[in-house]
Amino acid sequence: MNSNPELEQERPVARGGLWQTVVAALGRVGITPLGLALLIIIAILPNVSPFNQEHILRWLIAGAFLGAQAVAFDFTSGFINVVNFGFAAMLGLGAYTSALLANTAPYLVLKPGITPWIGIWVGALVAGLVGLLLGMLTLRLRGIYAAVMAWFVGIALMGLATNLTTVTRGSMGLHPITLLATNDNRPYFYIILGMLVLIYVTLNLVTKSTIGLAFKAIGQNIDAARASGINPTKYRVFNFALSCTFAGLLGGFYAHYYGSLTPQTLMHTSKTVEVLAIVYIGGRGTLWGGVAFAFPFIFFIEYLRSNLTNLPGLQLVIYGVLMMLVMIYYPAGLSGLYYWAEAKVRTMLSRRHTLPANERV
Amino acid sequence: MSTSTIQLPRVRQAIKPSSRRNTPAVVVGVLSLVIAVLIGVIGGPAQLITTLVTGGIWALMSVGLALIFGVMNIPHFAHGESFMLGAFTAWLVFAPLNRYLQGHPSAFLSVVAPFAGMIAAVIAGAVIGVVIERLIFATLRHRTKEGWIMNAFLLTVGLSYVLTNGATLTIGPDYRGVPQYWDVPPLQFLGIRLTVDRLVAFAIALVVIGALWIFLQRTNTGRAIRAVSQDETGAQMVGINLDGIQTLTFSLATATAALAGASLLFMYPAYPMVGLNPLYYSWYVVMLVGLGNVPGAILGGFIVALFQTATQQFFGIAWINVIPTAIMVIVLLVAPSGIFGSEVKGVQEQ
Amino acid sequence: MVLCAWEVRLLEIKNIDAGYDFLQVLWDVSLSVQEGEFVALVGPNGAGKTTTLRTTAGLLRPSAGKVIFDGKPISGLRPYQISRMGLAYVSESLNLFTNMTVRENLLLGAYSIHDKNQREEVLRFVFQLFPRLEERARQLAGTMSGGERKMLAIARGIMSNPRAMLVDEPSLGLAPYLAHEVFQGLLTLNKRGVTILLVEQNVHMTLEITSRAYVLEHGRVVMAGPSRELKQNEHVRKAYLGI
Repeated sequence: MNSNPELEQERPVARGGLWQTVVAALGRVGITPLGLALLIIIAILPNVSPFNQEHILRWLIAGAFLGAQAVAFDFTSGFINVVNFGFAAMLGLGAYTSALLANTAPYLVLKPGITPWIGIWVGALVAGLVGLLLGMLTLRLRGIYAAVMAWFVGIALMGLATNLTTVTRGSMGLHPITLLATNDNRPYFYIILGMLVLIYVTLNLVTKSTIGLAFKAIGQNIDAARASGINPTKYRVFNFALSCTFAGLLGGFYAHYYGSLTPQTLMHTSKTVEVLAIVYIGGRGTLWGGVAFAFPFIFFIEYLRSNLTNLPGLQLVIYGVLMMLVMIYYPAGLSGLYYWAEAKVRTMLSRRHTLPANERV
Repeated sequence: MSTSTIQLPRVRQAIKPSSRRNTPAVVVGVLSLVIAVLIGVIGGPAQLITTLVTGGIWALMSVGLALIFGVMNIPHFAHGESFMLGAFTAWLVFAPLNRYLQGHPSAFLSVVAPFAGMIAAVIAGAVIGVVIERLIFATLRHRTKEGWIMNAFLLTVGLSYVLTNGATLTIGPDYRGVPQYWDVPPLQFLGIRLTVDRLVAFAIALVVIGALWIFLQRTNTGRAIRAVSQDETGAQMVGINLDGIQTLTFSLATATAALAGASLLFMYPAYPMVGLNPLYYSWYVVMLVGLGNVPGAILGGFIVALFQTATQQFFGIAWINVIPTAIMVIVLLVAPSGIFGSEVKGVQEQ
Repeated sequence: MVLCAWEVRLLEIKNIDAGYDFLQVLWDVSLSVQEGEFVALVGPNGAGKTTTLRTTAGLLRPSAGKVIFDGKPISGLRPYQISRMGLAYVSESLNLFTNMTVRENLLLGAYSIHDKNQREEVLRFVFQLFPRLEERARQLAGTMSGGERKMLAIARGIMSNPRAMLVDEPSLGLAPYLAHEVFQGLLTLNKRGVTILLVEQNVHMTLEITSRAYVLEHGRVVMAGPSRELKQNEHVRKAYLGI
């Protein structure tokens, strides 16, 4: 016997220092080893059959798009407890800004012709500024008030987009140039995946920093937070504006990927409700809950849509009911289920590894 | 909820709970009067009639919403779906009757048939209201009171989602309407044409609102409803069954919204998303006058109808979702508790 | 306490443990009140007197022990059920309907009385007891002074024609003459047969008008006995009567 029996027992637990560093670094941006594995799988998927079919790729893109929205939405709803009910309108702002900046078609007055690669960032900025303004005006008061104001503003914005026909062509919509010349979906997938990772990493860095601590403090006891020198409104406004910025960015992607843009399809309250449902079923306050749920959600919806054409909207009813059930009975959502399962597995595994001393070989 | 006895000075006191001068209310009041005059002069009395009819319906919808806010502390996002249910129920009852009447004309039946639809809508609304309240809100209430307002709001968002998509699924997305309820020539007076359908809708709205008012002010149960909206603990202490009152209130609100939908079937055909505008407008009203303010909601219904008609008149119907909303946003920025003040617990403090 | 066979315990609080979230406030608290008695529960701030009343009235669930009213267990019942059984609770925070008139508040007090005539009769009695309220019958409850509101709260409790009343700190914040008026009202009530459990910080006045008293400190009953005796007690005199 040339191996120490005690080391034998500990082997499954400790590994080399490099692994620890990597895990820790990823942990700082909210990516667990499992999450990393899933991310890599998703990234590889478009190159693997049957996932490299065009329609499946579209579903993957839709999933990533919805997931990215969920992250930005959860940042506000889960961390400062404000439901941005005008979220879809923020996407619209980004989309229209970028689309209009890129326009070279003669049927509109303005033809700046700026490349969407820059345009989408301008769109993000615009959405962020509007979010900043809205936040400054409404976040002094209770969450429900800000939510309703955001909702009203969203309605007004959608109405504006529909009515300023000389600028936006109203309900006929715009047909902005796409980001890439190719018809292949794959590069777009990597673009949106990149955006998703960018948003996820950024927001995780924020929530795990002292700013995130301030969010928590405000949520737990607002007076104590104030007494500690934290200005709740400032932090709320920062959160809201950042979330809106990313919404605008995603709107830009939408415009220059789908190449078609109308107020109803992007800015309607029902679109916000979809993101909201994903976030809540997935588990709010986790940032990853909505993303994880977004992919199966899209796949399920699209599958039902193509196979159960005689029951339109069934999937939506199912999700609505699911969301209500989650809210009443299991507010932690699917992420709560995951943590519970993870804890169970952990206790099971640790029991197998810690044998009492006299039973060790 | 600031209601008290029915005498006129009390009503004023009830609408304006604060004794200091209420600038936003004055501004809005003056603005409304100006708009009303403009509409009457430029658009003609026909437009004013439209405003009154619409106002009556918004008032009916908003009273229910205000009650739900005040008594149950729920921001009810699915209130428009109650309107939709009423419209569908009325259509389901009236359309076959109407078809029958084509082949077998009967003076009696043609007068009564629309009412049959409306009564069916009220019953359907009341029953569905009870079911929803017991199944959903009572359950949430008994599970957790934490973060109630937000949770209840999101729950109603989910409910709205389920109901609209469920309607699309079961009944279908097509518009189901009727061109008119009563096949009689419109009334003519003072150079104004007024269709009987609209007159009846307006009359129903007034009668129901009046009945509701008397119910709330004079009856034991009505008083109990107001009590619950003011102090839940106090209400329990005097022997009021909170759960029962909550169910009653929600059922009442759903039934009145359903009636609104039914009475306007000739104007708004029944389809899954028909509740969207009534939802928006009743929310505008309630936020404008202050959450939970029932008498204010009645007045507010007419004010918002004024804004709506004025927008239609001077800017075109396309702007109907922009300008009233923009006005709402501005008013709320200036007076977050609404122009008449809010009585709803815990919505404003931060 | 030994009772004779014909003395009925109308209200029994037995071995109650109660608290809020993780904070336990009451530890094995037991009290009893016979029919027709006027009993006091005194003690310092934070002792748990309000918690005791709230638990009795059903607004708080005890984690242990039970409450028995008129021979029936009420610990699990809802507040409105307990109220309808004839046990009225007048809270410290009054819980008045501030946007309703005095008259409406009182009528609501009689919510469980279905006979309109009976309601009017009790209203007349209440106005007799507190004439000031009759003067202000049409005034909004929220616009009245502190003393008047206390009176209204007690009057509202009386409106349900209760067999027993739990009254929490009626004299708190009142000018002496108003407090006196309130106590007189309670005494009159008691003489008419209403059993009263009174929680008070004004120990002097309380021990004058009640027949028996319990002393609650740190969530436990530390002393019990006839008010007469407690008035002479060394600890009571030092801690509560400032002597």
